[in-house]
Amino acid sequence: MEIRVKCGCGEDECSEWTIVELQGVVETQSSFQGSVQNLEIGRLCHSDSSQENYTFTVGYHELVGSKVTLKKPLLVLKKIQKCTDDSSVKETELEVVGIIRSKILFKTRPKPLISGTN
Amino acid sequence: MEFDIPLPEELELLEANSYYPEEEDDYLNFEEAPYPYDEEKEEEERVAQKELHVQQPDSPEINGIKRPRSLMSDPIVNLDEVSPASEKRSKIGDNRVEMEDEDWLRPSPVKEVVHAVEEEEEVIPPETIFSRYASEIDGECFPITAPDGGERVYAKFCRALGDEEVKKLDVKAKSNGLIKDPISVLLQQSEKEAFNKALQTSSEDQNETITAETPVMHEKLWVDKYSPSSFTELLSDEQTNREVLLWLKQWDASVFGSEIRSTTDEVLSALKRHSTTSHRQKSDSAFTRKNQFSRWSKGSSTYPKNSDVSNSNPTDNHDMWNKKSKLTGSPEQKILLLCGAPGLGKTTLAHVAAKHCGYRVVEINASDERSAAAIETKILDVVQMNSVTADSRPKCLVIDEIDGALGDGKGAVDVILKMVLAERKHATGKENINNGKTSSKKERRTAPLSRPVICICNDLYAPALRPLRQIAKVHIFVQPTVSRVVNRLKYICNMEGMKTRSVGLSALAEYTECDIRSCLNTLQFLNKKNETLNVIDIGSQVVGRKDMSKSLFDIWKEIFNKRKMKRERSNDASGSEAKKFDFLHTLVSSRGDYDLIFDGIHENILRLHYHDPMMDKTVSCLDCLGASDLLHRYIMRTQQMPLYVYFSSLVIPIHRRVAQIQRPTIEWPKSYHRCRTLMVEKQESLRSWYHKIPPYIGRHLSIKSFVEDSASPLLHILSPPTLRPVASHLLSERQKDQLAGLVMLMCSYSVTYKNAKPNPALSDLREDAASEATVLALDPHLFDFISFKGRQLKHHILTLAMKQVLVHEVEMQKILQASGGRSGILNNPEEVKKTNQELARKTIAASNECHRNPVTSKSPSVPVEKNATTSEAKSSDVKKASRTALNFFDRFRKSRKDYEDPEDVQKRATAKRDSRPLLFKFNEGFTNAVKRPVRMREFLL
Repeated sequence: MEIRVKCGCGEDECSEWTIVELQGVVETQSSFQGSVQNLEIGRLCHSDSSQENYTFTVGYHELVGSKVTLKKPLLVLKKIQKCTDDSSVKETELEVVGIIRSKILFKTRPKPLISGTN
Repeated sequence: MEFDIPLPEELELLEANSYYPEEEDDYLNFEEAPYPYDEEKEEEERVAQKELHVQQPDSPEINGIKRPRSLMSDPIVNLDEVSPASEKRSKIGDNRVEMEDEDWLRPSPVKEVVHAVEEEEEVIPPETIFSRYASEIDGECFPITAPDGGERVYAKFCRALGDEEVKKLDVKAKSNGLIKDPISVLLQQSEKEAFNKALQTSSEDQNETITAETPVMHEKLWVDKYSPSSFTELLSDEQTNREVLLWLKQWDASVFGSEIRSTTDEVLSALKRHSTTSHRQKSDSAFTRKNQFSRWSKGSSTYPKNSDVSNSNPTDNHDMWNKKSKLTGSPEQKILLLCGAPGLGKTTLAHVAAKHCGYRVVEINASDERSAAAIETKILDVVQMNSVTADSRPKCLVIDEIDGALGDGKGAVDVILKMVLAERKHATGKENINNGKTSSKKERRTAPLSRPVICICNDLYAPALRPLRQIAKVHIFVQPTVSRVVNRLKYICNMEGMKTRSVGLSALAEYTECDIRSCLNTLQFLNKKNETLNVIDIGSQVVGRKDMSKSLFDIWKEIFNKRKMKRERSNDASGSEAKKFDFLHTLVSSRGDYDLIFDGIHENILRLHYHDPMMDKTVSCLDCLGASDLLHRYIMRTQQMPLYVYFSSLVIPIHRRVAQIQRPTIEWPKSYHRCRTLMVEKQESLRSWYHKIPPYIGRHLSIKSFVEDSASPLLHILSPPTLRPVASHLLSERQKDQLAGLVMLMCSYSVTYKNAKPNPALSDLREDAASEATVLALDPHLFDFISFKGRQLKHHILTLAMKQVLVHEVEMQKILQASGGRSGILNNPEEVKKTNQELARKTIAASNECHRNPVTSKSPSVPVEKNATTSEAKSSDVKKASRTALNFFDRFRKSRKDYEDPEDVQKRATAKRDSRPLLFKFNEGFTNAVKRPVRMREFLL
């Protein structure tokens, strides 16, 4: 069986992606009935350029994490199914969307934020 | 009348001395009489004259001068004829006479009379110099007022006779009181001393030239002059001497090498074999060995070579030593520790024995520097250096008074310990690795002990010596027998040409507890002064003694233990009593830790088994302890340290009351410390509770008065017997009120029940709760403050269920109060209007009332009833107080709350929620939970 992996872009232009790894679950408030559409997940800030420090604010939690280079880079693939003439046989192609060389890892316990407004 | 005769004599003397200026005045202007007092005197004298005329025919046989004076002092005679003013005067005179009587005349009145008569006679004859003016008489003079006409003359004082008199008295005075001499004799002696001193100072001017001329003589101390130079002359216990020598001999193998091993073995075996009976033989053999040695060290060349080898190459030496240790058994303990009372000859023994074995003694004394570094270099010197002088014998270190200085002496002990331990390690290492070079390197660093070290101490159980005691060979010196000491003293006295009797010498030896050094010093001192030994009281003569303090346990033992005195009782009981007296006094005062000594007495005194059916011994002993306490407190407060002197005398009555022959078991005083910590703990808990009480109640309580007065009534209030542990809706109205009152009270006094560990002391107090694993106890342990050992508390104790109800209610009440809720359990609107002032007054009154109740009434049920009612009143008061206090702050809170609209609040809350649509939920634990296997197929299809 043959799987074709196609890369549309050149070597330099291949867009780089990043994994945000959280230890936990991001949940919606009960009033939104589980739909994540058009909702702001949080804010990811790169605080200091010299130290690979990232803060990620979700709800009233603030997470502090760091950038970690992956040992094995990952590809982000997009599965494309082409319908040939014969309907029974589907041709599957994987298109490279991006490459992942590093991830931002938030492994510490989140800090609760106390809002100063009231 | 026997007593009366001397009294006027005294009065007369006193008058003559003390009223001298007045009388002179009186004498000059007789008519004017400036003071009423003088007038009385005049009158008195006039009366005396009259009396003289009247009485003389009646008693012609009595001396004419003396008789009327005796009448003068007699109040009965005087009262008849003398005016009231003079009556007073005579009373004064009487008082004085009594005083005089007490300290001067009681013990030997007859003697006094004789004395007085003699003096009188001495004055009366006109041959003695006798003038109206004191300036005409040279030397001491003595004013005399004539009975007729008040004429005053001065008589010369003939001293020789008087002195003799005093001496005679001194000899005669020997009573069996506590003190050696009766008080009168002591007073006389002190007078005499003062007199002699005055005489000396007056005569010193003349003598000064003479004393300056006498050459300063340097005499060798007898102690040094006659110190034993050879082993046979030693005075100390033979067994000890022998063992010390044996120990030193065991060093021979390592110090002198193998050449003399044969002789060493010989001597060793001889020492081991021979008993004390064959002492001479043994010492002979030792002498031959010594001679041999000295000959050998002078003549032969082998020994210096050998010592060179041993010094330059210590490993060689140690190899040899190790070999030897297997063969002959070198000393297991590297250090000899000699201990014993001063003057028993420890230092002498160490020196003599070391000399005898061919060592040169290097002594480190208390006067030398004894820091760790200094001592280490010194020991290294001793061990490694070879002296360049002709005296090339190996050295032996003697550390004298190692227990003396604690800080520095300890340094010495540490160094020695280190060396000994290094030696041991080295020895074991040697056996394992048979490599000479490495070990020699190691050895140079640690410097093991290769020469004998003798340590000398007085107190074996000094804390600094504890580590040394474990590794050293300890010899305790015992006192030599008195006869032995006396023999030696006699010999020395004969050599010095001093005449002594063996009775005196034995008394001296006994007094100094066979301290031969102080004996000799005393003898030499006396010899120098050309005095003879006073047999009867040696203590009066100068006996120099080394300062020494015994351990605390010894002191307590001395206090509680009566020595058996068989010999002394036959001699004279009084002397031994006095000696005991002195002994205890010096013992205690030389120790100095008075408060600790008294603590120990206090701790142990009630455990003694003394016969005391009426408890008066106990009471008087405790009185003594109380006095010591007061004294201590006073000293501490005023910082008058000289008063510490009197502590040691307080011990003596205790000893005399309770001392027993059988040995007491003495414990270190702990109770004081325990009580102190307990008290601090309780005070702390009480204080923290006190700060928790709201100030409007707390200000009416002081901690002290609370514990003393109101703790017990408060507990009665807190546990009323009428409360039933049932559900709250089953209670009657009255019971509900009561419960509410109790809860309010507990709240306002911030008392609550808490889970506590089952306390054995408390469990018997709360019988019903004792079975539970955990007990609900009052939070500040109020029961602790009023519970005494062995006393059953009469307080009613609530059941566990009731306590639980109370805990619940109190918690609820607290929450209600904190939230400022108006809905208390109780609501008495009529009381709200009362002012705070009234309320405080009422609280105090209520507490007073409930305090008074249990004290005055005898039946237990009545006060409890009353307490319940008062508690109700009180608690309602308190509750009202708390409410009014809360209202003040409530006002602000309320006004702020009113400002907010509830709907507005609601809206804001939803807005807040909407601003954060997503929430993060942190998963505890692992990080790789998100990974899961994916099949290739899933990519494709």
